[in-house]
Amino acid sequence: MQHVIVFVEHQAGHTRKVTFELATEARRLADALGGKAHAVVLGNGAAALAETLRQYPLDVIHTSDDPDVDKFLLDPAVDYLEALAQDLGPSIVLLPNTMYGRDIAGRLAGRLAAGLTSDVTDITVDGGKIGCVSPKLGGAAITTCTFKNTDYGIITVRPNAFALQPGALRQAQGDTAQVQPLEKPGGKTYQMVIEEDVEEGSGELGLEEAPAVVAGGRGLGGPEPFETLLKPLADALGGAVGASRAAADAGWVPYSLQIGQTGKTVSPPLYIAVGISGAIQHKVGMRTAGTIVAINKDGGVPIGEFADLLVVGDLFAIVPELTKLVQEAKAAHA
Amino acid sequence: MKIVVTLKVVPDPNSSKRIDPNTKRLVRAGVDLVINPYDEYALEAALQLKEKLGGDTTVTVVSMVPEQNKEVVRKALAMGADDAVMLSDPALEASDVWETASILAEAIKKNGFDLVICGGLSDDGSTGAVPGALAEHLGVPGLTNARHVDVAHGKLKIKRETDSGYQVISGPLPAMVSVTMGVGEPRYPSLKGIMGAKKKTITMTSHAELGLNGALGADGAKTELVELGAPPARAKGQVVTPADGAEGAKIIFDFLRQKKLI
Repeated sequence: MQHVIVFVEHQAGHTRKVTFELATEARRLADALGGKAHAVVLGNGAAALAETLRQYPLDVIHTSDDPDVDKFLLDPAVDYLEALAQDLGPSIVLLPNTMYGRDIAGRLAGRLAAGLTSDVTDITVDGGKIGCVSPKLGGAAITTCTFKNTDYGIITVRPNAFALQPGALRQAQGDTAQVQPLEKPGGKTYQMVIEEDVEEGSGELGLEEAPAVVAGGRGLGGPEPFETLLKPLADALGGAVGASRAAADAGWVPYSLQIGQTGKTVSPPLYIAVGISGAIQHKVGMRTAGTIVAINKDGGVPIGEFADLLVVGDLFAIVPELTKLVQEAKAAHA
Repeated sequence: MKIVVTLKVVPDPNSSKRIDPNTKRLVRAGVDLVINPYDEYALEAALQLKEKLGGDTTVTVVSMVPEQNKEVVRKALAMGADDAVMLSDPALEASDVWETASILAEAIKKNGFDLVICGGLSDDGSTGAVPGALAEHLGVPGLTNARHVDVAHGKLKIKRETDSGYQVISGPLPAMVSVTMGVGEPRYPSLKGIMGAKKKTITMTSHAELGLNGALGADGAKTELVELGAPPARAKGQVVTPADGAEGAKIIFDFLRQKKLI
């Protein structure tokens, strides 16, 4: 028997869709493993978020509003998770495959002498044995890994890979998740101080979690079209703006928006590549997207080989018109 | 100050890779081995610090790779690292995250360190978890995803990349830092650097020399690869050339409608 623990990444109580994807998957896994589904919410805003999480089919939601979690980097969160995992015994920890999720995962693997698999897009359970499916080598290979020699397994899960089913499962279960305060792990001192938190750009929606990504490349010619052209389209689609390495290297956007090798890997249901040729180093960061649409003035670009639709034309003429159509459709629907 | 940079060798990310459906292994033919690109940024950050701090600051590369990758490791020396330690030991092959971190930690402790700098991810396995696990095994603070690394008055200060900007984090030394490509483009080895690298020391070591006992490699791993396959192929889609922007937009809009994405 193993329990399942979901680590909830959030900022001041605001979380992302992946959290609810994890909460849904935790129920399925816990049932298959004969354990309970737990979640951990820490820091400023934890209590309110725990209430929201009660709509999901979890058994216990552990919370703490310990200010140390927001004052010091990583360590307090790792301590809370370690203490809970030790307390519960053999368990599987689910985290989002984001920068922060991977940071916590690596630390926790060291603490718990746990197996770790990352960027997982599917989880199978066969006779109590877990199989984690994940793309490796930039998507050129699909691997399946199991855990062994350990009571603990840590899985970072790719956003948008798992289905979201709140209410239905909750009702089927009949009762509601308990919210329990966590006790602060004793005897700890923290040294990595978060001195400043600086906002750059909008950042309302994480690139990795966005249901649609509108990415721009060299074809945009400068920083302005990211704001004036791509942002309105991304907003209309409820998505986020990304970029190719060429655009990040040119300083048009921060590196945090870069998709591909040495940048982020995304797999949104919809990916729109604007003025991006689609070289291998960009392809590895987005090839697993659901539907890929490309807009490019050159019909011979590499992205044409794997995009579902390549429209050859002037992006400066097409994108504003497309934004208008999407906005109108949304307004008509509302 | 002693800086250690961890370095992995990976199949060239710029080459097209495919899995042989029969052997279920990566087809190696035509795929060069290179320094993991993320680790080149770690090395760049280390060399920038060495230039800034001067004095007796040294940069040592620690790499757990087969002996035949020696010339790839030597490129790090050509870029400016002072020396390298290679853990080339068949017993360590197929190590997982936890093992890799614990083995690297032993080699790094034996070498001595004030600051360990890691790339944020490997291009092949891409768990992004080794730096954190390494900090745990070294028993030092782990500062992650730095776009800027600075040491002043014996204290570490980084700018840590976040989804919406960055955080300024300070911490004591010794410590582990992982970096992003924000630290700056890795330098190319100069001709002088390439010539000089031939005279620099690459120390070979093994698990026995590090006093590592118990199960190692695949036997000691806490994860096991049970299947490796090729992804479903992505077919070439439609290519259309509209008369103008409005028609192009309409084509995309209808396509998204049909796919129920709007």
